[in-house]
Formats: sequence, C-alpha cells, structure tokens
Amino acid sequence: MRALASTPLRTLSVVLAVATLAATGCASQGRFPSAPILLVCPWAAGGGSDRVARLLATLLEQDLDVPVNVINVTGGDGVTGHSRGALARDDGYTMTLITVEIATLHWRQMTSVSYRDFAPIGLVNRDAAAVFVRSDAPWRTLRDLEQTIRASRGTLRASGTATAGIWHLALAGWLDAVGLAPADVTWVSIAGSAPSLQELMAGGLDIVVCSLAEARPLLNAGRVRSLGVMANERVPQFAAVPTLKEQGVDFSLGTIRALAVPRAVPSDRIRALADAVRRVVHSDSYRSSMATGGFTPAYEEPDELTRTLEQTDGRLGALLRSDAFERLAASQVGPMFFPRLLLAALAVVMIGLLLLSPSRDVGRGATPPEVSRWRFLEPLLWIGLYIAIAEQAGFLLTAGALLLAYLVRLGTRLRIAMPLTLVLVPVTYYVFAGLLRVPLPRGILGW
Amino acid sequence: MAATLVQSLTAVLDPTLLLVVAAAAVYGTVFGSIPGLSATMAVALIVPITYFLSPLAALAAVITLEACAISAGDIPSALVRIPGTPASAAYADDLYQLARQGQYERALGVAVMFSVVGGLFGVAVLMFFARPFARFATLFTVAEYFWFYVIGLGCAVVVSRGSALKGAFALLLGLLFSTVGLSPVHTQARFTFGRPELYQGINFIPAMIGLFGLSEILRAVSTPGANERMIAAPIAPARSGSFFARQVSGSFRDVFGGSLQILWRRPLQILQCSAIGTIIGILPGAGADIAAWVSFGYSKQRSKTPEEYGRGSLEGVADAGAANNAALAGAWIPALVFGIPGDSITAIVLGIMTMKNLTPGPEIFERQGVLVYGLYFVFILANLALLPAGWLAIRAGGQLIRVPRHTLVPIIVMFCVIGAYAIGGSYFDVALMLAMGLLGFALERAQVPVGPVVLGIILGGPLEERFVQGITASRGSITVFVSRPLAAVLGVVALVVWLLPAITALREKRTNA
Repeated sequence: MRALASTPLRTLSVVLAVATLAATGCASQGRFPSAPILLVCPWAAGGGSDRVARLLATLLEQDLDVPVNVINVTGGDGVTGHSRGALARDDGYTMTLITVEIATLHWRQMTSVSYRDFAPIGLVNRDAAAVFVRSDAPWRTLRDLEQTIRASRGTLRASGTATAGIWHLALAGWLDAVGLAPADVTWVSIAGSAPSLQELMAGGLDIVVCSLAEARPLLNAGRVRSLGVMANERVPQFAAVPTLKEQGVDFSLGTIRALAVPRAVPSDRIRALADAVRRVVHSDSYRSSMATGGFTPAYEEPDELTRTLEQTDGRLGALLRSDAFERLAASQVGPMFFPRLLLAALAVVMIGLLLLSPSRDVGRGATPPEVSRWRFLEPLLWIGLYIAIAEQAGFLLTAGALLLAYLVRLGTRLRIAMPLTLVLVPVTYYVFAGLLRVPLPRGILGW
Repeated sequence: MAATLVQSLTAVLDPTLLLVVAAAAVYGTVFGSIPGLSATMAVALIVPITYFLSPLAALAAVITLEACAISAGDIPSALVRIPGTPASAAYADDLYQLARQGQYERALGVAVMFSVVGGLFGVAVLMFFARPFARFATLFTVAEYFWFYVIGLGCAVVVSRGSALKGAFALLLGLLFSTVGLSPVHTQARFTFGRPELYQGINFIPAMIGLFGLSEILRAVSTPGANERMIAAPIAPARSGSFFARQVSGSFRDVFGGSLQILWRRPLQILQCSAIGTIIGILPGAGADIAAWVSFGYSKQRSKTPEEYGRGSLEGVADAGAANNAALAGAWIPALVFGIPGDSITAIVLGIMTMKNLTPGPEIFERQGVLVYGLYFVFILANLALLPAGWLAIRAGGQLIRVPRHTLVPIIVMFCVIGAYAIGGSYFDVALMLAMGLLGFALERAQVPVGPVVLGIILGGPLEERFVQGITASRGSITVFVSRPLAAVLGVVALVVWLLPAITALREKRTNA
C-alpha cells in the first residue's frame, strides 16, 4: 500500500511541475479583461443592491465580452462584503458594488475599511430616502407627523433598517433639521425594508423610512402613503410624492451605489473598467430597466465619485458622532442578554443530562469496532491542505492532486483513480464555474 | 372568465414556455441535489436570463426551479446524508437510514410523490383562497413571530430521537452559534475575537454540510470495511418483458409504488401537513425549512410509531416532504397580493416582476388575469414535472450505490468542500464546515442529534431579533408578547409544544407502572 502510494505521488508531482511551467510560460497578459470578472455584492440575493448588481453584470458582460459573475457576500451589515472587496487581489478581476454604508461602517467602528481602500469606477444609482405611514394613519403631511412627534416624544415607532443604518440616519437627519432629537422617535432595529414594511402593515410600527423603489408595491396597492422624499427634486416615477424641500425642510439624504475595485489596481485597468461602466450606465437598456425597477439611475466619473464619497463620509460621520445619536446606542436589552440566557439554559440542560442519562445510556452507547482511533483526522487533513493551497494553485490543480492522492491512499487502484480524477475535477469545475455560474478558486494560473 | 382561462392555457402551452419549464426542471434538480447550492441561489442566478423571457415564462422558470430544487434536495440526504437544501434537514436522517436499509428508491419515491401532493395542495390554496389568506401575512407583528419561532424550535426537540434533553442540548448549541458575529439588532460584534471573517457569523449551509455530511464521512472512515458500499443495495425485484417495461415502467413502479399505499392509508394526515406547510409559507418570516420541521414534529405526535422518527420513518418523510413543497406556493400568496415576499425566493420574484413592469397588489388578479391564471397552470405543471425529473434523478443518483466506499469517500469530501465554498466564496466557510464536521462526529458519539443544531443556527438570529424588537417597540415592557390576542394564543401553543416531551414521559411512566 505504501509503495503503491509513493509512485503515483511522484508521477503526479512531476506532472504538476510540468503543468505549472507550461502554464506560467503561456499566460501572457495582453488584453484586459480576458478572464471572468467577479462582482461582489455585500447584500443578500433579492434585495435592491442585488438587483442592480445583476443588471450591471448582464450588461457589463455584453460590453466587456467576458463573464461577469455576481457573488453575494452578506453579513455584518455590509462589513463582510465591503472588506472582501477591498482586500481582493488587485488584478481588477474583482469588483465591488459599494453602497452608502461604506461611509458609515468605519465611523461605527465595525471595520477599518473605508472608501479610501477603494479605487472608484463609477456611480451607478442614487435613491433618496422617503417617509412612509400606513394609509389609514391620521397624518397627511410631514408637518402633521412632526407635530405628533413633538407632542408625544418617543412613543412613535419607526424602522426601515437596523439601528444606525442609512434609513435611520435619514430619519435622524430630518428630526434634527426640524429641531427634534433622534430619540424622539423609537427606532426598532429591523434588518431590511421588506420586513419593516410588513411590520408597519401589521401595526407594530408607525413610520417606515426606506427608498420609494422598495415600497413601490405597497404604495401602488394603496396600503401605505409617502409623506415626503428626501431628494432635491421629485422622483419622476413617483411624481405625486413631494420633496422635503417643498415642505419647508432643507434636508436630503439617500443611498448611493457605485462600482469600485481595490486601491492598488493598475490605472489602465481602472480606466478600461470605468469606460465600460460609463457606456453601460448610459445605455438605454440600463436606464429603462432601472426605471421600471423604480431605481433612479445616476452616473459620476471616478474623480467626481471620489469627491462624493468624501463628502458623504464627512456628513454621515458628523451625524453618527453627534451626542444625540450616541446616546441612542444604549438599548433596553444589551447585546449579551440573549447569549447569557442561552448559556444559563445550556447549563441547566447539562446538569439535567448529568443527573439523568448515565443510568440509561451505559451499554447502549457501545462504540462499533474501529480501524484506528485517529483515522477520522485524515479527511480533516486533506481539507486543511485544500484551504492552504487552493487560493494560490487554483481549484483544478489543488482538487485534482488532493483527490487523486486521497483515492490512492484509501486503496482505489490507480487505473481507476487517475481517469476518475481527470474527468471528475474538470467536469465539476466546468459545471460550477461555467454552467451554474458559481465561481471556484481561480488561482494564479487563471484556472 | 372562461375566455381568460382559455387565453392563459394557450399561453402556458406555448412551446417556448414548455421548453423553459423543462430546462428549469433539469437545472433545479441539479442545483437542489448538490449540497451547498440552495434554491434561492439557483433562482438568483437565472435572473439575468429572465430579462429575455416573457413575464409568464420568466415566472414559470422560477416556479419550476424552486419546486424541483426543494424536492431534489432530498436525494443527497438519502445517498450521503447531506441535505441538498435546508428544507430537507428535518428528515435527512430518516431518508439516509431508509436507504441504508435497502429502501433507497422507495424512500425517495415517497419524498417526491408527496412533494407533488403538497405542492398541488399549496397551489389549490393559492388559486382559491389567495386574497383571504394573504391577510394572514399582515397579522403577524414581532410578538407573534417570536412565539412562532419558539414553536418551531420546540418541534425540533419533540422530533429528536432519543432523549428530549439531548435534543434541547443540541438546539441550545445551535442557538449559541447563531449569536456569533454582528448582532443584527445591536450591530455590535459578539464572540468575533477580533477576526473580520467572524463578523458574518456562522452560515448555516456550511454548518449543515459539516454536521450531517462530513461527520458521517468521519464515522465511515473510522469503521472497518473500506470495500463496502456506503449504501446498501436496493432490493430490486426481477423484471421481465420488453426493455421499456423493465427499465422504465417497472422502475417507475418500484420508485413510486409504495407512495400510493401511504396516501390511501392516511389521506387526512397528508392534508393537515400540507395545510401546515402552506400557512407557514404564507408567513413572511418563515419558509420551507421551518415548515418541514413543524410538520415532522406534528406527524410524530400523531403517529402510531413515533419511535421510527429519525431512524427511518416513511410517514415522516411523506408528511415533511409534502409540507416543504406546500410552503413554496404559500409564499407566493403575500407576494402577489401585497408585494410582501413570503420567503427569499419570492423576494427575487418581486424583483423580476418589477423589471417586467408587473405590479403586485390585490388588483393584479383582475388586471393581469391571464398572467395569474397562467401562473396557476404553471404551478400545476411544475409539480407534475417533479415526477419525471425526480425519477430520473433518483435513478441517476442510484448509480452511486455501486461505487465502493474507498472511491466514494474522497469524492464526497471534495463536494463537501465545494458546497461550503460555493455559498460565499470564502475559505472561512470551508474551515467552518470542517469544524462542524468534527463537532457532529463528537455529538453523534454521545448520541446527541445534529438536526436541532442546524435549526438553532437558522432560527437563533430571527428569534433574538424579534425578542429585542418587541422589547424596544414597547419601550422595555415584556407584556408586549402577551398583550395582543393572537400573540397570547401562540404563546399557549408554544408552551404546549415545549411541555409535550415531559407530558409524554409522564404518561409512559404511568402506563409502565
């Protein structure tokens, strides 16, 4: 068995060495882009950002003539996706759809990543915040709502996103502009506009702040009413909704979406991508698809976008660090309340297990005969090896080598293991990366 | 009315549309049967293609895709004990044990057949009661959701084989895992040890692959018999007659024959479980995965042979399989009537609809009559397409049975790795899958079920969120969870579900004494 295993492994290493040499020799870096591009979307599939990302991917794919695959890197209120995008390999093959949260996350001390870690490619969309109430609510104008808030400080409940999210900042900004404090409305931290709107319908909330696009179905169905949009002028698809400015409040805020790559990407590649994005954003199909989706298409060149990001960052930072807002952070139930509750319950259950189980389970839990007590560590070792080298060597080489080695190690004959590996690994790669559009590690060789 | 029906039927029988349905059935089956690729992901990936399709064809693709993916998720459960989608996790052990007892084809046949039954039930509700039932979705505030999640978690403890205490232990472990990362309500990092990867928390898909799949591999490699098959061969009766009779119709009967018996024996039970599935589907905060758990728990309570649950119960597979497919159609009800997505897939559907300039709302039934009736027909078509697609997949998967273990183990390990990586393209998820594999291996040694851990990870976040949201909205008062009548009723139900194991234990003690 040992002798059998060493020969194929040696053969394999020779094959790998030759393949590596051949591939590095051939990989000429002429045209950019010449390989699939990954578009990181920091928000979940089905949401507004995801829809914009997928539309952009489809159109960029036609323009650049390489596949553009969207991957949803979610979690941590956008931290995960934005940091993945900022720390990606700087070859220009990983783009990120950055959203306005890039300007708030570092102020909230959730990450050190900020807009400075990105080289902007182009602004693609700008959606203003809007205030919604149920259609049976007594308020007809923003002024009515303001008066109720002034009279009943803190009893009205609002949401649209998690605490300190962009829609929360929008509400706080409006309250500030009319001389009220953020705490005069109780913000319920609900992740996402869809569940917030649902809670509004069920009677658990009085106000929702989100974009007009997100509330469109309920708005059209006459279930909710918009009291005002925080934009400089009315949004064409929602011409009936007045701006705040018209109602005497000079305040506007909203989300922005833009494409960006890591800071260190070579400038000629940034230019190539920026040109493509400019063409796509100005195309009729982009403008019409965005409009039917309820989004407001917008465009800014990289330089202009840098200034916008700078400005937004300063403005939101000032809002977030204001005293009124920082006092909000203390909520009724602390972040450790739930874990502590669980730990206490776990302790009770474990005591119960200790008291009850031994008498019954002795004998029944007899372990089956084993080959070796430590055999179970072996699959773990193979997976560990994969994690260690896949990013550098790529899926095909890593998975191929490890699969073959493990097959032989377990005693599969080489004449079966070799063809199996040669067929299974490339086919799997093709099915995932080609057919199903689920990217696998590409490695330095591009596959 | 009649004219609209005829019009929509012609639209559905359009060759392009039928082709789209067939392609989506294949795509959905492949996606569902590969662990790590969820039905939501499959639907998100076809969004760009829907730009080029007619509105009805685009939605037909989604409907067929989700039905086939959720149903095909059962196949890897039976073969290698890795649920293809989270909706299969509740009864993964049953399918796997049945396959090991030589009932691979029969067990999956039951799963597919009852997916069809449940799916058709859901469609019927969508067709006849969409508007009254949609109100359901708008009745639930955070207080009701809180109790609903408590009920869902209780079901996991009820169904766990062996001691309920061990089930509760597993569940609490899962709930604790769910608190890792950025707390969704406080947006503060917990248990992240300064590592940015942990901000996203513990994703349940790599966790599920590790707890179910990798742990089984670890068990297999530490038991002797490398040349054995992983799965016992199915009992195939000798067939005679023509090629067609032998290979197709005979096999069709082998796969689906057992299902009809179960259906005739307990039609009411199937209807009840389908109804549970549909109602859970309508609720925007819950989908096919919780539907499967709750109806599995309900089924076990009603069963004459509850001891089989978790060890290979065909009844349990039938009931939970019906419920998770029934939930899919249920999720469309609030989506069509209010534009509120019933689950993550209908959230994407709403995106497609807006791109196609279709506005959901109560008036969609009048204004877009042809489209809505077309959707009904497509739903029926998609559920019927499950039978041939499922049969093909079961037969194809059955080929794996012949592969000896020393060849199959490395391949399964590779797919565990790919599955964990595919969801977010992160090596952290692969490492997480590995750690969960070890944990699952250890837990099963101690005879602790792993299913509740997965449910704990899935529901922990929403449970905590609703709890804190409820408290915040009422400015610190706990009475918010009982002050609304609906919340109070659900609270009582939750209490009963949680006390069930204790009640059963007491009753057993009395009969024994």
